[in-house]
Amino acid sequence: MIKAGGKGKIYSLYEIAVILFYASVIAFVPVVLVVTYIFDLDARLNIDTFILWLVIGAAIAGAIGSVILLWRKDHLKRRVKPAYRTEFIYLLFLSVFFVLGFVVFFDYLGGDRAYIANILILITVLLIYILINLGRTFFKFDYMKK
Amino acid sequence: MISLKKKLFSDENLARIIKILVIILLVLAVFFMAIQFTSLWTWITDAIKAVIVPIGTGYLIALIFFPLIRFLEKKGIGPRWLSLLIVFILAAAVVFGTFFFLFPLVKQEITNFFTNDVNKIIQYLTVDMRVNFVLGTDIYDQLVAYINETDALNTWLDTLVPNLLAGLSNIALPLITVISVLPIMLFYYLKDYEMIGERLRSLIPAKQEKTVSDLGSRLNQTVGAYLRGQLLLMVTLGIVATIVYKLIGLKYFYIFGIIVGITNIIPYFGAIIAAIPPILFAFISAPVGPGPLLVLIVNLVLQGIEGNIFQPIIMGKQLSMHPLIILMSILFFGSLFGTLGIIFASPIAASIRVFIEYFKERKAAREAKEAAERPVAP
Repeated sequence: MIKAGGKGKIYSLYEIAVILFYASVIAFVPVVLVVTYIFDLDARLNIDTFILWLVIGAAIAGAIGSVILLWRKDHLKRRVKPAYRTEFIYLLFLSVFFVLGFVVFFDYLGGDRAYIANILILITVLLIYILINLGRTFFKFDYMKK
Repeated sequence: MISLKKKLFSDENLARIIKILVIILLVLAVFFMAIQFTSLWTWITDAIKAVIVPIGTGYLIALIFFPLIRFLEKKGIGPRWLSLLIVFILAAAVVFGTFFFLFPLVKQEITNFFTNDVNKIIQYLTVDMRVNFVLGTDIYDQLVAYINETDALNTWLDTLVPNLLAGLSNIALPLITVISVLPIMLFYYLKDYEMIGERLRSLIPAKQEKTVSDLGSRLNQTVGAYLRGQLLLMVTLGIVATIVYKLIGLKYFYIFGIIVGITNIIPYFGAIIAAIPPILFAFISAPVGPGPLLVLIVNLVLQGIEGNIFQPIIMGKQLSMHPLIILMSILFFGSLFGTLGIIFASPIAASIRVFIEYFKERKAAREAKEAAERPVAP
């Protein structure tokens, strides 16, 4: 972490990689569920068992990824960019599929479809708030600033 | 006697005006001559089109693929043919995988539509619509009587099918040619990307080489950014619309989702074109399924998020233009080149802006240089 003239901190690729990696791990299950939902794969397989395997897979990937991140920490700490635009765009798309996947997850678990719109709006608002703050603080991508 | 009255035009300006007028006259004369030999020109333009279409398509696809190849090479995956092969295999897998999974589902929806819902639509148009017609049943009856009398509907349907078939046969051969030639052309184009650029540069006179090369790379960057961003947005919006339509219980969500994805390539009008079929279907099939208002709200929210959050972030400042300029360019290039003109109106307008900005920058640099060289008064 480097201080840039006291105006704002510039974060190294390590901090960005940590954010992106854990966001990917969290969004892994919902994103895969989006694919199963599109292609109607839930009709061909036992969705509960499938979700369980996905969670186990995400946990294993999370553990392996954490070790790799720690292993490459010094290398990534030395790399700094003035803004992380591409990385932020990745996070943005991940968030979209995470929101949709979450709703699909709710549907698979037998939730009432009448509440889907409410859940969608709540999660979207929350995610937009998180994204704007993350973008401004870590990615140096201030969307609100014209 | 020497006249002291100031001349309207200086001799130099007059000579320039005459020169411009002569050039305009010559151009008009050339146009007039060209019009006299329409069949010859059609033959020549057809031949040029046969070459330009695959080359142009190859160039546009290369702009999408090349950054991927560069990325792989940066990661040490080389030589060029290996990274090219990986990108080709991945692209083929994505295309075939999508068709393999999606095609049966879309086919099923089309079959269901013709089996179950066409009769419902006919029933709606002939019975329900008459009762709910805004201008009253009398005017509806008069309209139906007029259509039956003039046989307008049957005539339109009779001409529609042959016209469609003729249109399809006209584009079938060029399409097959492009599809068969494209992979080979793309392979060699991407393999020798830098060499082709160098060769083209060597054809430009040395005096203009830097200008043309700078402009070329800026245009490549602008068009490439547009294509990559647009493709990403089309796929994402298509997927998101499909899922949301399915979640709200709209039938034929694959077809409506695909329409949303495809029409997203047309700025502003695409959103309207994509929203009409699902809203109409929801209106006709009510009370079964979601209401038309909900479908309208879903479309407004999706297009609003895409247009106001995603597009500005992905496309960046390179392609940010005033909506009025985009609308004008859609109307202008659409009337010039048809559907292709509508699709490529934004990148063409952005390319024109690149030209203007480049020459503005050069002018500013020249003026700054002249100002620096001017001797300072003591």
